[in-house]
Amino acid sequence: MLSVTGVSKLFPGVKALSDVDFTARAGEVHALVGENGAGKSTLIKVLTGVYQPDAGEVVHDGTPVRFTTPLQAQQAGISTIYQEVNLVPLMSVARNLFLGREPRGRLGLIDFRRMHREAEEALSGLGIRVDVRRPLRELGVGAQQMVALARAVALDARVVIMDEPTSSLEPREVRTLFRVIRMLRERGIAVVYVSHRMDELYEICDAVTVLRDGRVVHTGRLADLDRLRLVSLMLGRDIGEVRSEGLTKFTGSHQAAAEPVLRAEGLTIRHQLHDVSLSIRPGEVVGLGGLLGSGRSETAKVIAGALSADAGRVSVGGVPVRTGSTPAAIRAGISLLPEDRKAEGISPGLSVRENIALAALPGLSRFGLVDNARVDEVVDGFVKRLRIKSAGPHQKVGELSGGNQQKVLLARWLAMHPKVLLLDEPTRGIDVGAKAEVQSLIDELADEGLAVLLISSDTEELIEGSDRIVVLKDGVVVDELTGDAVTEDALMRAIAAEPGAASVPAEPAAPAPTEEAVKPAESAGSTHD
Amino acid sequence: MTDLSLARGQVDRERLLRLLQEYGVYAGVVALLAFNFVFTSNFVSAENFRTQAVQVAPVLIVALGMALAIGTEGVDLAVGSVMALSTSLLSLYLGYGMVPAILMALVGGIAVGLANGSLVAFLGVQPIVATLALMVAARGIALVLLPQLEDVRDPGMASLGSGDVLGVPYLVLIAAALALLVAFVVRRTTFGRQLLAVGDSRPAARLAGLPVRRILIIVYAASGALAAVAGILATARLTASDPTSLGTLMELSAITAVVVGGTPLSGGRIRIGGTVAGAVLIQLLTTTLIKHDLQPSWTQMAQAVVIVAAVYAARERGKR
Amino acid sequence: MKPTALSRRTTARTLLATGLLTSLALTGCTKSEDSGDDKATEQQADAGQEVASPSAGSGPGCTIAAYGGEKLDLKNATVGFSQSEKEANPFRIAETASIRAEAKKRGVKLLTANAQSQFSKQISDVQDLIAKGADVLVIAPLNSDGWEPVLKTASAKHIPIVTVDRKINATACKDYVSFIGSDFVEQGKRAADQMIEATGGKGEIAILLGAAGNNVTTERTKGFVDQIKAEAPGLKVVFQQTGEFAREKGQSVTENLIQSKPGIKGIYAENDEMGLGAVNALKGAGKKAGDVKIVTIDGTRNAVQGIVDGWISGVVESNPRFGPLAFQTLDSFTKGDEVAQDIVIKDTEYTEANAKTDIGKAY
Repeated sequence: MLSVTGVSKLFPGVKALSDVDFTARAGEVHALVGENGAGKSTLIKVLTGVYQPDAGEVVHDGTPVRFTTPLQAQQAGISTIYQEVNLVPLMSVARNLFLGREPRGRLGLIDFRRMHREAEEALSGLGIRVDVRRPLRELGVGAQQMVALARAVALDARVVIMDEPTSSLEPREVRTLFRVIRMLRERGIAVVYVSHRMDELYEICDAVTVLRDGRVVHTGRLADLDRLRLVSLMLGRDIGEVRSEGLTKFTGSHQAAAEPVLRAEGLTIRHQLHDVSLSIRPGEVVGLGGLLGSGRSETAKVIAGALSADAGRVSVGGVPVRTGSTPAAIRAGISLLPEDRKAEGISPGLSVRENIALAALPGLSRFGLVDNARVDEVVDGFVKRLRIKSAGPHQKVGELSGGNQQKVLLARWLAMHPKVLLLDEPTRGIDVGAKAEVQSLIDELADEGLAVLLISSDTEELIEGSDRIVVLKDGVVVDELTGDAVTEDALMRAIAAEPGAASVPAEPAAPAPTEEAVKPAESAGSTHD
Repeated sequence: MTDLSLARGQVDRERLLRLLQEYGVYAGVVALLAFNFVFTSNFVSAENFRTQAVQVAPVLIVALGMALAIGTEGVDLAVGSVMALSTSLLSLYLGYGMVPAILMALVGGIAVGLANGSLVAFLGVQPIVATLALMVAARGIALVLLPQLEDVRDPGMASLGSGDVLGVPYLVLIAAALALLVAFVVRRTTFGRQLLAVGDSRPAARLAGLPVRRILIIVYAASGALAAVAGILATARLTASDPTSLGTLMELSAITAVVVGGTPLSGGRIRIGGTVAGAVLIQLLTTTLIKHDLQPSWTQMAQAVVIVAAVYAARERGKR
Repeated sequence: MKPTALSRRTTARTLLATGLLTSLALTGCTKSEDSGDDKATEQQADAGQEVASPSAGSGPGCTIAAYGGEKLDLKNATVGFSQSEKEANPFRIAETASIRAEAKKRGVKLLTANAQSQFSKQISDVQDLIAKGADVLVIAPLNSDGWEPVLKTASAKHIPIVTVDRKINATACKDYVSFIGSDFVEQGKRAADQMIEATGGKGEIAILLGAAGNNVTTERTKGFVDQIKAEAPGLKVVFQQTGEFAREKGQSVTENLIQSKPGIKGIYAENDEMGLGAVNALKGAGKKAGDVKIVTIDGTRNAVQGIVDGWISGVVESNPRFGPLAFQTLDSFTKGDEVAQDIVIKDTEYTEANAKTDIGKAY
């Protein structure tokens, strides 16, 4: 259907793609995997006409093509669904669906009734029930993505490229998405699927192409490739090495002190948190479990002073911390690595150096003047220790890979010598290698006596990384797993447990059929986990 | 092999574009100077350079404050009205002596800046809206205080406006000193670095524990103070307080100087050198057209072309 | 006498300033206007400037019979005056003061209103004046257009209207009686005559234009340029740039002018403020008084002082003292006599010959 042969693409100083062959076949879901910087995004951009290859050719439907704009690619039937949905948030769902090809009535006016009816049909065909008259932005991210997909299908797309479509979806939304993908496959559409989530790849994909350093290192049927082998291909390491280290880089339990350094009691925010209490001892990693919207991020933000609570107390080392003030929390030794790294974490336009020094700057200054020598010292130290890869300390952080951005953020907080480190999705969206490094770093920090709160939607990471897991559900602490009880099974049971019921078979994401209708108000309110 | 040569061509083009963005404003200044050296009679004279420098000084001082506001992803539309307010206050208090009068004018400018900063920092009002409100209010107050032009006969003010040190007018010395001061604050102080972080990503700055509100308030107060200084110097040069017309459209000149100088409107970066060059570029453009007695509307069109060019360059930069 | 008055005023306004800054309240508005009026009245006392006679005769006339309405004795009538802008510049101050002084002199009851530069306010001001019982109206219009609603109300009651300093787009002797104003082309012409005399009719001269797109600018330019062409071919206009009627702009532009054209002989400034800016520029460039001849229009006290000091050669006055002429016109009209529909007010001029003696009359 759509293929490239011998494609190379150069950027100043980097060869992003080198002699790459890739074929997306009709009726096949093709996984495109690789670490960050392996060349996935570049390849997608070549396929969709954003970039022109420096060498090699793109063949679409049997004929060589040269898309010079994304529009040309779209007109040729190639649709791309990005993580961030690129539709018009203020327009209604139906308008978005029919943007540029609205059904016209007499007088050339838009026939809204017909448009709404057809929009509903198109969406229900994909198993989605929403009010198509509502503005798109009132929908949850997942539902928005469905609209984007429906639009792609309606536009007679022959090839659909999905770049990390599930990164902000809830489990039931993922299920709906997969059903739609299967439907696309049955219709003979070629799907290119990019994701970091291994479970998803094995659930939905037929074929796989692994990229590393701009080259294809493997291509073939996914079923013929076991997980460990896939990881080793991506990392470029031996199987033995990977096996011996397990899939995460955590070592397991830590030696924790007896007295908690952080105590949070009765944290309450109307509609979001209710009487959440937890404590962390020095050298302990406490996991915060729960589904999207259960109040995990809110808990971390309240402790870090980034969100005002209606009630509750936070203390560090027995000293009360004023809530609702980030500077107060930071002075007390609490540091938060926020979930939304790009919007709330890094300062993308500033250099690596400025980003690392940002929070610690007053301490690195004398009489309000920055002591550049000391800043350099601190920055160099962390760049080495955390193995931050950049063109130099003056490169903009926005240009770094996700993993390196995360390391820069960690460095920013470690430079403050915190007592409590709150990590909200520290490895989300970063490549496998950096993920492993961040994970072992968390271990290391706990060993050094830091109290760590870990939030992760990667269950494996949460289980293996945490000494103890506090489980949240709808803003309430429902369980606490300790010692041997820290297992995936126990976590699932805790999450799935119905109020009052002792235990329920673990099938957490099994949705009742009616739940698939997305309720706009609810989704809009809880997208910010 | 062909790949490589292709790539090199692209690298060269990108480097050229980047150079143009970084140094285009300086090239523009040099080009205009060269043009005038050749085609404008009596351009090359100490007297003329003095005139140009004196005329650009108030615009530059206002642009310095504007650069700070734009660096925080904001803007300060009240600067022109602050100039009017400061000239009114100056004139009213001159009876008590030059120093108290200047202090009152500065206090007035800072007060407007604090009001701007509070609206932006505490009430979360968009800077363009907040400063627009103060732009109207400050001009109104200025006219209530001093409804009509009043001559300034204070000899101290007159010598401030036309005096010099070794041939360099006080106005130029003050503008240069302030430019150096602002550049130093931006580059070397904790405050300057934090200011840029606030402009680059406000949520990130807030989560990093920076005193975002305090920084914003100080920035707008500084912009108000600088505009007041510009108003005082313009009054000294004119030897009259004219709150009706002083500073009108100054905000646009200042924004133009800052943007043409390569400071992005999206914040996070401030180029003081570029701002100085931007102000000089606009001054030279106006002067060139005046000296050649071209239609005044041409001046406006030429300015428009420069702004469009600068915004185009900024767009390219943003895409990166 | 004068210094004490001045310092008292300054103190009062200084207090006002402090109050405004701290409270940012606008309670001071009325107070400030009062002080402006005080000043105006005080100024009017020593400004016994001769005022133009109603040089009627030229152009079509208007009688009460043609306009409609009944005769009345102006002495017993109520006169309404609607001012367009705040009395913030010398022209408006003198204009309002002149109307007030004349009403006082004639013992006529006067109602006044000020539109503060808002046209909608002026419309309602005039309607208010009518409602309050004004028998005749003097209007200084802010705009030329948009007067239909008010004129309808007025003509229904047959209220005679005289507009001053700016014409309105309506039919004379039907919607209003007369317009009294200056002839701006004539002002430019007279400025040209002064320029010719000052320079001896030879050399290069420059024009500091007023704000672009303003009829005052166009007419003052036309009168000047045409007269120069006709009378002194030896004078060449080599430079025309706008100073936007502001002193600062006049100064900046002149600074550039005298550097690029050092041989410039004369500068025609289309208002006093730009002329005073030009004086500043010349002083700054080390020129001596009289090196470059400056001719301006308006006749403010500062400009006339410039003649006394030798920096300005001549000033053509744009007369704001409409009071006597307006009342005289209304008096004749209400008595039943014919008055002209367009009345040109007499503008005087100041030169070295009369500046010293007449400076007290300048506004």
